[in-house]
Amino acid sequence: MATTTATVSISSSDLQPGNTLSINASSTLMQTGLTTGLEIMDMGASTATVAGGPDALHEALGTVDTANYMYLCNNATDDTFYLQVVLHDTVIGRLYAGDWMFTPWNMSDAAAEWAIEAEVGTCPYEYAFFKSTYTLPISTQGDASATGGGTLNP
Amino acid sequence: MALIPTLSIKDTTTFSDEINFSVTDSLTVTAPAQSLSTIIATNAGGSNIIVTDTGGAIVWLFVRHTGTTDGSTATTRQVDVEFTTHEGIARLSAEEWLFMPVSHAGASVGVQLQVNHASNVQMEYAYWTAAA
Repeated sequence: MATTTATVSISSSDLQPGNTLSINASSTLMQTGLTTGLEIMDMGASTATVAGGPDALHEALGTVDTANYMYLCNNATDDTFYLQVVLHDTVIGRLYAGDWMFTPWNMSDAAAEWAIEAEVGTCPYEYAFFKSTYTLPISTQGDASATGGGTLNP
Repeated sequence: MALIPTLSIKDTTTFSDEINFSVTDSLTVTAPAQSLSTIIATNAGGSNIIVTDTGGAIVWLFVRHTGTTDGSTATTRQVDVEFTTHEGIARLSAEEWLFMPVSHAGASVGVQLQVNHASNVQMEYAYWTAAA
C-alpha cells in the first residue's frame, strides 16, 4: 500500500518567554476519502524571473474536489527576492528566499490552477505535487486505433 | 524572534525509488501572533475568523483539521480555509494541515474557516507575522 507521510515541525526558542515552541503535525496523504495511496507525483525545478512573467506551475486537470497536495520552495539566496503564489486569479501568498509552503489542494474546479511569478530578482524554485487523479492531455497524434489515425510506431 | 519550520515528506512504498526529502527554514517573525489555539469551526465563515486583517503583512499560518467535532467525536467534514473576502486558500480534510505565508496581494484582509456542511469541526491553528 502506497503511503506518503508529510510532517511539519515548527519550533522557536525565543518566541515565548520561558517556553520553547514545538509544534509537530504529521499526516498520511490520503486519496479522496480515507484511502491511502497517492500514486501520481510531479516534481520539478525551474527559475522564475521578473521579465518572464507568471509561470503556470500546475493545471487543475484532475477530478474536481479531490485530495492533492502542493509543496513549493523558493531557492533564491538574496533575501529580497520573492515569488507571488497565485491560485487561479487570487494571490494567496508570498515566498521569500529560502521559504517553503505545503498545502492540500482540492482542485476545486478546472480553473483552480497554480501559478507563480517572481516579483523581485531571479528565483530558482522547486515544487512537488502529490495527486489522486490527473487527466492526461489528448494526444496530438490522434487515435492510433482509428482509420486514418496517427501511428505511434510508423 | 526566529521561527524554524521543517517539512519532511517520506514514502517508501509507492515507487521503486524512495521519496524522502526534508526542507527547513528560519523565519524572522514579530507581533501580531497567535500561539497554538483551537476553534470550533462552523459553516458560518464570518464567525470563525482566525486571522484578523493583516494590515498587508505576510502571515505565516499553520492550520490543522483535528478530525473531530470537539476533540473527541470523529468527523470527516471538510473545512475551507479562506480569506475574509471569501476567496479560497485550501480545503482541509480530517488530519490534514497546511503551513504557508498568507498574503492577499498585500491587501489587509483576514483568514477564516468555514465547514462545508452544517456541522462543527475542531481546528487547530497558529500564526506569526513576518517581520518587515
